[in-house]
Amino acid sequence: MEIFLQILANGVMLGGLFAIVAIGLTLIFGIVKVINFAHGEFLMVGMYLTFLLTTGLDLHPYIAAAAVVPALFVLGALTQRFLIQPLLSARDEHVQIFATVGLSTALMNLALLIFGADIANTPVHGVRSQVQLGPVRVLEGQIWILVAAVALVIGLQFFMKRTTLGRAIRATAQNRAAAQLMGINDRLIYVLTFGIGAACVGLGSALIAPLYPASPTVGTYFVLIAFVVVVLGGLGSVAGAFFGAILIGIVDAMSGFYIGSDLREAVVFGIFLVILILKPSGLFSTRLNQSHVSP
Amino acid sequence: MKLTGFLTTAAVSVFLAGGAAAEVRFGALYPFSGQLALLGEESARGAELAVDEINAAGGVQGEEVVLVRGDAVDNNQAIGEARRLISREGVKAILGTYSSSRSIAASQVAELSGIPYFELGAVADEVTGRGLKYLFRTNPTAEHMGQMIVEMIVEKVAPALGKDPSELRIGIIHEDSSYGTSVAGHQERFGKEAGLNIVTVQGYPASTVDMSSLVLDLKSQEVDVVLQTSYQNDSVLFLQQASEAGFEPGAIIGGGGGYSMLPTAEAVGTDVIDGVLDVDFTQYAVDTSYTPGLEEFVAAYEAKYGESPRSGHSLNNYVGAMAVLSAIDKGEGFEPEGIIEAVKAIDIPEGKTAAGYGVKFGENNQNERAKMMGMQWQDGKLVTVYPAEAAVGEMKLGQ
Repeated sequence: MEIFLQILANGVMLGGLFAIVAIGLTLIFGIVKVINFAHGEFLMVGMYLTFLLTTGLDLHPYIAAAAVVPALFVLGALTQRFLIQPLLSARDEHVQIFATVGLSTALMNLALLIFGADIANTPVHGVRSQVQLGPVRVLEGQIWILVAAVALVIGLQFFMKRTTLGRAIRATAQNRAAAQLMGINDRLIYVLTFGIGAACVGLGSALIAPLYPASPTVGTYFVLIAFVVVVLGGLGSVAGAFFGAILIGIVDAMSGFYIGSDLREAVVFGIFLVILILKPSGLFSTRLNQSHVSP
Repeated sequence: MKLTGFLTTAAVSVFLAGGAAAEVRFGALYPFSGQLALLGEESARGAELAVDEINAAGGVQGEEVVLVRGDAVDNNQAIGEARRLISREGVKAILGTYSSSRSIAASQVAELSGIPYFELGAVADEVTGRGLKYLFRTNPTAEHMGQMIVEMIVEKVAPALGKDPSELRIGIIHEDSSYGTSVAGHQERFGKEAGLNIVTVQGYPASTVDMSSLVLDLKSQEVDVVLQTSYQNDSVLFLQQASEAGFEPGAIIGGGGGYSMLPTAEAVGTDVIDGVLDVDFTQYAVDTSYTPGLEEFVAAYEAKYGESPRSGHSLNNYVGAMAVLSAIDKGEGFEPEGIIEAVKAIDIPEGKTAAGYGVKFGENNQNERAKMMGMQWQDGKLVTVYPAEAAVGEMKLGQ
């Protein structure tokens, strides 16, 4: 029983990790309708920024987040403004997706050029210390990641429902043409949303950096599961991504122990396929709309 | 314009070839850019130092050796660069390659052209397993790694833990690409032959971000000795999560990769990695009476590159290149058949090279005397502890 609870706790913590990466991804997808293949590289950039700030200025990684989050917001906003936006009028919207693939490769090789292929270790500042929660043990840093993921979900819901900017973002997502008629600057909304999505993963990167060493390819480790989580939760649903992430985390940990680590990916993707067959729009689907297709 | 350029080049080549008596060209095919650049470059430095030493002593058959670099950034380019070295640069043989997949791709080209290919650093079985006529390998392989790990458990680890080898519960974990899978396969095979009790063999993707369930599984199966074959990310993850889950097996033995690299030790902390064992190419903290020439190699390296060697790759490439070039020096001419005959005559006993192992090509042109060594992390340093003739420290286990 004790082992079961420990695995469950490991699974939830792993889920928190997936969630904090996936939230920004689903936000960008839901609103801007762009599948951002460079999302993992945004994470990687954030982790290297955290590494530089913590080693260069001797900051606690969580304090470094105060600089990393705005930096990633700017990176995201610039990506939308100068890479995606010029392609909005392209004949085929898939061009935008390929542009993000290109950005991903470019960022990865840039990191390779600057930092080399070796790993970079962010000082841990005590967040790797263990916390005993009843019968289970987890890392302090893992708890903070889970707390941050929950806070991010609640904060984003509040922002979207209660603020003028949030309402404008939702309006643009629901019907771009109608939003434009209401006087909303849709291009600005897209730039801001892309920035917010990147800022979310910026927060994630500052929290993850002390737990995992940064390397040019670190983003690819996280991003495949993040895509699974986003589809599972219902494309564009922030809360869905969170619960999808926790579910995948638990399935991953359980199958790794009870079935064997060779098969855990097979189990995770098997369950993913079964859920998609039973509920094709994901667990928490938002209403489908095609308004982004119209000019 | 293009034609003139071509003609000029041709003229210059003819001129060079005409006035040749003074130089012979060899290819150095390594990944010099991209993901594998760091250790590709490190490997190439070993070959360069060997060439410098040979040239200082009068070259091969009186001719100066010129190394022409080819950048094997990926498999396709490895093939393209091998073609270029052979047909445009007119190299007499190719040295390489560090990466097994690049080596397998490029050596096919050399084989078809009938140009000797000397592999000095790639470990996969398939490199020599294909029965090529012109491919020779000087370095130890995945099979040697599995064999050495099992030998070390039987001879040294079991006695240190105060148990009979057959009483130890062995757990094999490995990243699931061809590198991890083939080493784990050899560990299993040699382990069974030696009568070891292997309780579990588990693969996982190298890109994994969590190994806590695997750690719990090993812990609940009461594994005494963990064998891991891994890259850097997963080495760090396993060592950290094992220590955090309070899993303290009698011994952890890594197979090269992440286990031999200083950044891994820095990532997990010296207290966690202390006592962890590793089997890999010869490293630098070793008894130099068993590896004559090692100190001179390090001095030459530091003089040329202004830093200490970053890994054992340069040393192993140096030893391989020295053996091959010295043999060609004793041979007749640079025709492929002449070179092959010369290298087949190599017979260097153990304890006479800077890496310790001897050189003699056996079945499939694999160096049958190639050997890995056992190291242990002690106070933040990787110290050779096995075999006894190379050891500079005692293996410390079971405290």
